[in-house]
Amino acid sequence: MLWLWIALGVVAILLVLVGIGYNRLVRLRNEAATGWANIDVQLERRGDLIPNLVETVKGYAAHERGVFDEVTRARTALQQASTPAAAGEANDVLTAALGRLFAVAEAYPELRASENFLRLQDELTDTEDKISAARRYYNSTVMHYNTGIQSLPWVLVARPLGFREKEFFSAEGDTATPQVSFTPAT
Amino acid sequence: MTLQQQIRRNRLRSGIVVVGFVLLLGIVAGLIGAVFDLSLGVVALLGAGLYAIFSIISSRRIVARMTGAQELGPDQLRPLRRLVENVSIAAGLPVTPEVRIVDDPAPNAFAAGLRPQTSYLGVTTGLLRVMPKRELEAVLGHEITHVRNRDTYLMTMATIFAGVIALVADIGFRMLLYGGGRSRKGGGAIVIVLAVVGLLLAPYAALLLKLSLSRRREFLADAGSAEILNDPEAMALALRRLELDTTTVAYADASVAHLWVESPTSRVESERRGVLALSSLFDTHPPLVQRIAALEESGGFRLPEQLPPHAPFAVELGLQ
Repeated sequence: MLWLWIALGVVAILLVLVGIGYNRLVRLRNEAATGWANIDVQLERRGDLIPNLVETVKGYAAHERGVFDEVTRARTALQQASTPAAAGEANDVLTAALGRLFAVAEAYPELRASENFLRLQDELTDTEDKISAARRYYNSTVMHYNTGIQSLPWVLVARPLGFREKEFFSAEGDTATPQVSFTPAT
Repeated sequence: MTLQQQIRRNRLRSGIVVVGFVLLLGIVAGLIGAVFDLSLGVVALLGAGLYAIFSIISSRRIVARMTGAQELGPDQLRPLRRLVENVSIAAGLPVTPEVRIVDDPAPNAFAAGLRPQTSYLGVTTGLLRVMPKRELEAVLGHEITHVRNRDTYLMTMATIFAGVIALVADIGFRMLLYGGGRSRKGGGAIVIVLAVVGLLLAPYAALLLKLSLSRRREFLADAGSAEILNDPEAMALALRRLELDTTTVAYADASVAHLWVESPTSRVESERRGVLALSSLFDTHPPLVQRIAALEESGGFRLPEQLPPHAPFAVELGLQ
């Protein structure tokens, strides 16, 4: 009789532990999902700004067709990207294309003076900063989540329970940009 | 330790602070009741409770007044608010805290508010004039970590409770000293001695509780900022810059000292006191040197002897 009670007690303790661990994994997964939503908002905002920008530049530099096509294609690719890794890559392509567009814009003083253009440029820079901020948060939540489901004992049951590893939204190198200063000390 | 664990731990600590406060208040009220009148003890208890509730409700405004933080208009200091937005996105906060400006030449910053949704950051104009963008970001990261970890909640509670205990004990003590003869109920000399000692020590017990919480938070917030921005060196550089700066905030009300990124009370004094282990118990912040060392160790770098040249963020903001 005594052994039965002990066995029951052990089972009860195990069940509680399993419950706590499971809840932790669910919470980590939700945090990662929230992190991804934060990136998505910014990617969408970036996508929304681009047609406007292209139209504005076209008004001054209509014959630079190649760059416009490139930007538009990169934008479409970003909007169709279905996984974080693919979105990260598409985002990089878009950044490069936008870089070329702004380089082209340099040659048109009137365009550079246009208020609309300056505002769009400013907003895009801001969105890029926000994407990289959201990326840092998302990647740290993914790291916690992945570590959670890859460590014992969860690695044995995570898959059957529906916990899949998540992809990082990696882009432009995950290290902080080194500060390089060329101004002499005063 | 993940973020959620830290938040839950802080909630637990807040609970302990509340329980500790209730116990301490009970002792103080009990002593007042024992020496004078039972009803007086009850009155003290009720009064203190009401005062505490009132303080919690109006804490946001009180902090703003004590620090002299001004709200910003919708078009003021856009780049600064953008910076705060970016840092709070990186921290995963549900909302961006509001920014307020303290017009003071000393570089410093603080966070206040009970919930992330109602929190705000205070930044001195001195901070904007001294810090380059990268280090300002680190300081904002430090404050935002306070908000994210619910430190502001915990510390607001602790501050209010320490204040209430000090007030009640002070009133009781004065009554004992000056008005004692008339209303004293009698009781043995032992009770009175006990009451004197208890009433004298209670505020210090409350203060110690508050300060020990506050110092640990600072290390955690430094580490949080380094993690959010993935740049421990920026936080260390910012602290070094604060260390080199000798001005202190004029609105340095001792009751809000623990809120700031750097202790606003005179540094020379706090360093001198730091020599004595016992008296460093009463500092709100660990010494900057220790905080920098902790960052260097976890980040695996050494700060250069001389700070790199920089353009302060105020230039970008167009501040004079």
